[in-house]
Amino acid sequence: MKTLLEVNHLTVSFFDKKVPEKVLDQVSFTVNHGEIVGIVGESGSGKSMTSLSIMGLLSEHARILSGEILWEGTDLLSLKPAEVRKLKGSQMSMIFQEPMTSLNPVLKIGPQVGEVLKIHTNMSDDAIKAKVFNALQEVGLSDAASLYHQYPHQLSGGMRQRVMIAIAALNTPKLLIADEATTALDVTVQAEILRLLKKIHEQRGSSILFISHDLNVIKEICQKVIVMYEGKIVEAGAVLEVLNSPKHAYTKRLVASMPGARNELTTINPLLKLTDLNIFYKEKCQKKHVIKDLSLEVYEGEILGIVGESGCGKSTLARTIAGLHSDYEGDIKMAAGNPSMIFQDPYGSLNPAKKVGWILEEPLKMGGITDKRRRRSMVEDMLTKVGMDTSVKNRYPRELSGGQRQRVSIGCALINHHRFIIADEPVSSLDVTIQSQILDLLIRLHKEYELTIMFISHDLNIVRHLCHRVVVMYLGEIVETAWVRDIYDHPWHPYTQMLFDSILTNEQKATTAADSSLSMQTSDHKDGCCFYHRCQYSDRHCQDQKPKLRKMHKGHLVKCHKAEDWA
Amino acid sequence: MKKKPNYNLICGIVITGLILSITVIGQFFTPYDPNELNASLKNAAPSLMHLMGTDNLGRDILSRVMAGIGTTLFIALWTVFIGGLFGTIVGALTGYFGGWIDEAVMRVNDILLSFPSILLALIFVSVVGTGKLNLIICLGILFIPSFARIVRSEIIRLKALDFVKSAKVMGAGHLRIIFVHMLPNIVVSMLTTAAIGFNNAILAEAGMSYLGLGVQPPDASLGRMISESQAYLFNAPWFSIFPGIVIILTILGFSLISDGLKKVSGAAS
Amino acid sequence: MKYIIKKVITLIMALLVISIFTFVAFSILPGDAAMTKLGTAGTPEKIEAMREELGLNRPIITRYLDWLKDAVKGEFGESYQYSSTSVASLISERLPTTVLLAVISFLFIFSLSIPLGLISTKHPGKWLDTLINQLMQIMMAIPSFFLGIILTYIFGLVLKWFQPGKFISPAEDFIASARYLVFPALAVALPKVAMMVKFLRSGILAETKKDYVRTAYSKGSSENRVLFRHILKNALIPVITFAAMIIAEILAGSIVVEQVFGVPGMGRLLIMAIASRDYPVVQAVVTYITAIVIIVNFIVDMLYQLVDPRVNTA
Repeated sequence: MKTLLEVNHLTVSFFDKKVPEKVLDQVSFTVNHGEIVGIVGESGSGKSMTSLSIMGLLSEHARILSGEILWEGTDLLSLKPAEVRKLKGSQMSMIFQEPMTSLNPVLKIGPQVGEVLKIHTNMSDDAIKAKVFNALQEVGLSDAASLYHQYPHQLSGGMRQRVMIAIAALNTPKLLIADEATTALDVTVQAEILRLLKKIHEQRGSSILFISHDLNVIKEICQKVIVMYEGKIVEAGAVLEVLNSPKHAYTKRLVASMPGARNELTTINPLLKLTDLNIFYKEKCQKKHVIKDLSLEVYEGEILGIVGESGCGKSTLARTIAGLHSDYEGDIKMAAGNPSMIFQDPYGSLNPAKKVGWILEEPLKMGGITDKRRRRSMVEDMLTKVGMDTSVKNRYPRELSGGQRQRVSIGCALINHHRFIIADEPVSSLDVTIQSQILDLLIRLHKEYELTIMFISHDLNIVRHLCHRVVVMYLGEIVETAWVRDIYDHPWHPYTQMLFDSILTNEQKATTAADSSLSMQTSDHKDGCCFYHRCQYSDRHCQDQKPKLRKMHKGHLVKCHKAEDWA
Repeated sequence: MKKKPNYNLICGIVITGLILSITVIGQFFTPYDPNELNASLKNAAPSLMHLMGTDNLGRDILSRVMAGIGTTLFIALWTVFIGGLFGTIVGALTGYFGGWIDEAVMRVNDILLSFPSILLALIFVSVVGTGKLNLIICLGILFIPSFARIVRSEIIRLKALDFVKSAKVMGAGHLRIIFVHMLPNIVVSMLTTAAIGFNNAILAEAGMSYLGLGVQPPDASLGRMISESQAYLFNAPWFSIFPGIVIILTILGFSLISDGLKKVSGAAS
Repeated sequence: MKYIIKKVITLIMALLVISIFTFVAFSILPGDAAMTKLGTAGTPEKIEAMREELGLNRPIITRYLDWLKDAVKGEFGESYQYSSTSVASLISERLPTTVLLAVISFLFIFSLSIPLGLISTKHPGKWLDTLINQLMQIMMAIPSFFLGIILTYIFGLVLKWFQPGKFISPAEDFIASARYLVFPALAVALPKVAMMVKFLRSGILAETKKDYVRTAYSKGSSENRVLFRHILKNALIPVITFAAMIIAEILAGSIVVEQVFGVPGMGRLLIMAIASRDYPVVQAVVTYITAIVIIVNFIVDMLYQLVDPRVNTA
């Protein structure tokens, strides 16, 4: 195999603060023709910096201190800017993490795609237009004609990412760099995009440099993998070898990032009962019916997982139960006081203008504890309980890392003796190794304080490991509920099956997923099944009549006409 | 790479310091009585006796300038205080609670803001009359909409952040959330807006007094001095130039400080 | 479509509100038309009689509606000061001057600020950018009227490029009129140029940090292509809303600047009318200026709808 790209001892530093910060340290690796190489690492590992260096997209604050980037033998760093520009977009191209902001919001899609041709070829405008139509269709956007004249904000996330891929693949590049290209997408869309990238690799012979923090995604698509940590490469080799038998300590930590085990649930005692809940949300003068006729029980002491993709209403449900949203009809019965809540974004969930100590004292002040000394000692106790030094109480949130902030958030939730916690994607924004630490903390606190946790997540692997029971939601309705073991062994609902297919693990996929380029749309058929549009098994009956939540066997409820037929 | 010293901040502090010291001194002591006439020394050029020269009635310009700055800063401070206080309350409440009241208030706000403020000031003055107090009330009220708008948009931005939801779940009441939790986060934008408003108030007072519709005698005013000086522009340009330069330096000093502070707070965040 | 109708209604409402507000405000005042008309010859009986004659004793709503009826036709009654001169004729004499001044100022602002803004963003942080920034900083600290005086001194008295106070109306000699107005226009425009440059600069610099710019570079675009095809379109959209404010500011600035240069426009008329309590004139001028500001805002709003695709098609 011929070498396409060879990076040798690349060292890059950032010069925008008082002390220069080394972000890449003697990074060396190769990518051969037709290879898919993955770079895996967490934030600060330098994986994105590597790709930006190759593409010559580093910010002005960054400086390449030493090393070379050999493209088919020529050092890119020695070329003049105009020469490098000829390669970008034609022989090497890149797709980024955020498709919304990566496209120019005020230009139409068509011209933005065609721009690569305009820059690198002498084709006529009509010829370019024809090629653009072709390209859009090839990436699975069937309505290319109307898409050509639309603007980025009119497309869904998955569609925009396909447009980005169309742009990157249009000139049949020898190397396509995908920098966290699927991170911001829903699980089912992610699977589609990966399939598309594989197709491009097979049909056009392009090499792919795939950058991600998600080991499962790397395993799914890459042949070789490079593990980066704090700017250095710590391990590299064939994917299965590195991820199944890691040698470096960090790689081992990364691969083993699953938290410890939780205890079993012994008694069933409903703590929260939702009956026929309908939640509405007012958006720009339009009242949307977000949660439809939902009934659910949460048992004391359990960890209940709520899964679903964006738009299914899980966050709205959580907020309503927590008391943040009051536009609803139906019954919410809570056996023991109000729940407290932990949020996803560690950067927004703590007041930037207040010290940690003040933040932790607030719930106590609200709880009526007037004795300053008592509050202070409770704060120190809680900090220790969540695994932090008591000196943290004098620091501001901006001085803490993401993981530390989530610990503080957890402390806030528990400090006033709340025993029912709603956790809305609490670890989704954290690095993988930190995730397992926080999950370990939650498990420990769950045991110690006998907590009941409603755990909302899109990460099916974590839910499998952490939760006792799982609730699957789609478009504001519960489509399946079961004990974790039951549902992962045998998902009944077609949507659950589709979700589980998209979890990329070593296990073989049982079914082929339905077409998820149709993103979640609100069903026009109010009477029919909510999943009708995307379901591969649906028929007339599904379109006309809404299924009821039916019990398949112990503790396993499914809302599907077809499921009964299969039972 | 060495860190560059914050020139803006340094220059700003120096200039403002100079202006403030002249002002403060001027409250207690001026070389001459600002209103003292001296017929023999009309339109005299700057000299050691009269560092800025004399005006058409023989009054010492330096003394008049010192008194005038005092008036200007007094008015500007009160303007910012009134506008800031009420603007914050209006902006915070409408931004937080939203709803139709927010829509209505914002519409009124936008209409007011789209007007040249001097026009509104002129209408006000023609109804209520001129003078220092009226000018303060007028400018103060005029300053409320821009302050309200900034505070409102910041409150709306903060409202979307999770720490506000967290505070609600904890049981904090609305007013507590707005004034104890949210407001400390927008102190920087409030200060910046206040600085801009301060400068605009200085410009507005100078302009109004120039037109003869602002501060009236015996209160001193730089704007009015400039207007009086216009007839003698050819013979005694110092009569116009010194008051003008003092106005420019005052405004420049404050905007340099506010820019310099922006860099500092930007670096800290 | 619904949006346009909503906006037009707001426009008309704003006009009505302002005119009602000023009308009511002036009615509260002591000293009215009757007293001013009779001047020193007024005895209490004569004043009362005059009041009846002028209809000043009717309820305020009737008086306002009468005023409104005439105003819509373009008639604003008679000036108190220049008795038997219609307010409308006073305004029509001076409106062209003010409009010409505003147009020249507007042209100055845009032709100076866009190049300056672009130059300062070419190499941000370097000496040229810093120089421009400091100049603009100083420029913003200069009150318009003082700038006018400096310009009068340098160009009028020292260089003698124009004769301060010797203004020729555009009706008489358009070219000479425009030539004279260059200097007041500069006095109005320069501080606004400073604001505009700052605004443009921060807008363009903010855009350069955005993701779509990175995508454009990754396609192999040159710097110029990225600037002109991608960044400018995004950065200029907020400028449109800014432009509305600029126009309001130009009108405001001209009120004072006309005084400095002795230009007989609407601004000067307004000031004289306020000083002499000539309320019909004040009412009319205020209504006119308000109408201009509101209509301009409306046009800018519509333009914005057209230009920003995110608004229409959302």
